[in-house]
Amino acid sequence: MNLLRIELKKIVPYYTFWIILAVYAGLLVLVMMAASNISINGGQLGTQVYQFPKLWQLLTYIASFFNLLLGILVIVLVTDEYSYRTLRQQVIDGMSRLELVLAKFYVILGIGAVTTLFLLLVGLYFGFRYSTDTGTDAILGQIDHLSYFFLQAVGYMTLAMLCGFLVKRSGMSIIVFILYAQVLEPILQFSLSDVIDQYLPIKVFKSLTPMPGQELLDQMTTPTELLTPAWATLPALCYIGLFLLLAYYSLKLRDL
Amino acid sequence: MTKKYGSLLALNQLSVQVQQGSIYGLLGPNGSGKTTTLGMALDVIKPTSGSFSWFGQPVSRSTKRRIGALLETPNFYPYLTAQRNLEVAAEIKGAPPSQISRVLHLVGLEQRKNSAFKGFSLGMKQRLALASAMLNDPEVLVLDEPTNGLDPEGIAEVREIILRIAAEGKTIILASHLLDEVEKVCTHVAVLQRGVLKAEGPVGAILSAKDSIVISAANQQKALDVLAQLPFIASYHPEKENIVLTLQDGFNSADVNQAMFAAGIVLTQLVVRRKSLEAQFLEIIKQPS
Repeated sequence: MNLLRIELKKIVPYYTFWIILAVYAGLLVLVMMAASNISINGGQLGTQVYQFPKLWQLLTYIASFFNLLLGILVIVLVTDEYSYRTLRQQVIDGMSRLELVLAKFYVILGIGAVTTLFLLLVGLYFGFRYSTDTGTDAILGQIDHLSYFFLQAVGYMTLAMLCGFLVKRSGMSIIVFILYAQVLEPILQFSLSDVIDQYLPIKVFKSLTPMPGQELLDQMTTPTELLTPAWATLPALCYIGLFLLLAYYSLKLRDL
Repeated sequence: MTKKYGSLLALNQLSVQVQQGSIYGLLGPNGSGKTTTLGMALDVIKPTSGSFSWFGQPVSRSTKRRIGALLETPNFYPYLTAQRNLEVAAEIKGAPPSQISRVLHLVGLEQRKNSAFKGFSLGMKQRLALASAMLNDPEVLVLDEPTNGLDPEGIAEVREIILRIAAEGKTIILASHLLDEVEKVCTHVAVLQRGVLKAEGPVGAILSAKDSIVISAANQQKALDVLAQLPFIASYHPEKENIVLTLQDGFNSADVNQAMFAAGIVLTQLVVRRKSLEAQFLEIIKQPS
């Protein structure tokens, strides 16, 4: 049984899936274009910031704001299976609960790979258009930001998947997901000391794509403790594993 | 098996066995625990206590592949066509894709195979679910209320398909709240009420209790004396000026009439009193467990 092939059979003819992905792609390109056209001191902002290799960090930082949309997409795919009762039917027909979770995780990896590839293309387009240095070294110099972005997108989507499996209904799951990511954890971060809160899941994911110029900002204000992308990798992987495990147990311990 | 939902006891220590080749009916009113029973046996509802086995083994992928099942409602992706939905199911069941056209033909949906599931009538949805259950040519078919909500034509179609499948020698487990469906289709029946097993056995023994015959004669005492001598009378008791009696298998009211006449008694009344299925059913579920 090929889990990814089964998922593709469900997803490819599904309009909602493509619409959400198109909105994601459209918004990202729109923001990039808008930012490039802002003129400062008579010069286009694009020519200043879309320079290889710094461009990759900016690009992944901007893209990180749209991860919520990818999360919503995953929630839709998971909760659909509850509302159509197909999760139940798949278990009756022979899938194990572990396979149900793995199948969705493969979809998450797929979406992560496609969006990362899309980011690469967008980055190359804007880079070649505005960058003064288009040598190989400049282009590939900081391209590892893309792999951090991939990990971050997978992290957000795995959290979204867990919300979907736990809550079962799409609207409620989306509210829980956004409430945690945007409200609950920021409050937690506020009440905890930086030493601890840098290991909270959303903060870990966010530190994978740090804001360009954060170092400058830190010099002017009190520095916020933030893991570097390299240091955030291991905790991010642990959270992804934890979310998968929780999703599996939520299926194992409850009736379908 | 026992299942509790909070404080509600949905199923209380049910213990049954289904023989290969039988058509086993789970009969009971709505909320009597039929779907809970099937859901547990199909591995989607966790039993509170108890266990079950298929083909003498614990449930596993290999046992699931020998079973075709539909639970409660037909479960498909509404935006996918019938063909696509069956492709997904075939992939999960490990059934060859060539089976899809066979099962679509079996339920008469090959003309609509490229229509989206959401546009189907309830009867067509139910038939597609039957087709999906047949994909892996299963030894056992589990059907939960397969005719629920269908119009008379749809009921007739689905029942005909079930009987056709049964004729292939498959074991069928069928949950229904319709007495007449169980009586028409099943060989064995278990009667459930509020999660308690009320009766179980061959349909003939449980549901078709013998018709009774009411007779009266001018001399009741003499008639009673004659009845005591007749070998084919199963039971009798006087009821006011009448006598109510039941017969052994293979005898009917004509035999009674003839025997009485031979003994010199002319009956003034001879009526066959048919017991309705509903009356029998109410009798079964009223029995204290």
